[in-house]
Amino acid sequence: MTDSERVQQDLDYVRNVVRHHDADLGVPAIYFLWAVIILVGFALPDLAARLAGRYWLLAGIGGGLLSWWLGARDAKRSGLNDVALGKRHGLHWLITGVAFLLSALPLIVGRGDPGAAVGNFLLIAGLSYALAGVHLNRPMLWSGLLMLAAYGALQLFAPPYTWTITGIVIALSLAWAGLSAQRARNAGSLQ
Amino acid sequence: MKALEGLDSAFEHRARLAIAVLLARHGEISFARFKQELDMTDGNLGAQLRRLEDEGYLGLRRDFVERKPVTWYALSKPGRKALDKHLAALRAVIAASTV
Repeated sequence: MTDSERVQQDLDYVRNVVRHHDADLGVPAIYFLWAVIILVGFALPDLAARLAGRYWLLAGIGGGLLSWWLGARDAKRSGLNDVALGKRHGLHWLITGVAFLLSALPLIVGRGDPGAAVGNFLLIAGLSYALAGVHLNRPMLWSGLLMLAAYGALQLFAPPYTWTITGIVIALSLAWAGLSAQRARNAGSLQ
Repeated sequence: MKALEGLDSAFEHRARLAIAVLLARHGEISFARFKQELDMTDGNLGAQLRRLEDEGYLGLRRDFVERKPVTWYALSKPGRKALDKHLAALRAVIAASTV
């Protein structure tokens, strides 16, 4: 075997190992957590609109902290502590949180239209999830696209219970993403 | 071949090269995770990691996860530099062979 053939074989081996590593679909528990938070939170504007703001303030911050803890616990258990990826996740969701607060600003200062604000909330969530799907964990892309489609439907048709129906669809897509991630992990651990 | 002179003997074993590339990409990885990813025995993997550690290319940290001891590995600054140099030499080897 020539030197270049040996080098090529070694690089093929390394490429296969790295590719196997990159197939991570995210932490299943975080998908399930947000499926529940979104299912409840998206029903509130239709069923108990006065509670929605307070719910999202608490669930947004609490869910973010719990997601961080679940991610750190998963990193320890899986034996892969990717600090750079963790920072990317943290920055992404921190920016999303800031955008949510800014979208609520007109309501906080008493100059906003609640209908427009909740629409903006859905638009920001959809954009953030879709971009997280592109840059972080692919399954989030589908949830994000569903949110953007729901925003379009909300603006064009204003159907009844749009928020509740959207919440159910997103929760189902997140639960599906969690189950897919769990299945991929189980398959990986059986190899 | 002149390009071969730039190769680092610490990375000549493909498992050691894979270990270094994974650490450069992901930061910190445990012994158990390496074993799973590289499909190696404890003894073989331990020997390869020790070789990189002896060169000063790896740093290690001991921790407990759910009351079980875990050893975490990370690439040191000299390790990252050496890996970059080795990868540049590999590119030169491949380029020279395709001319």
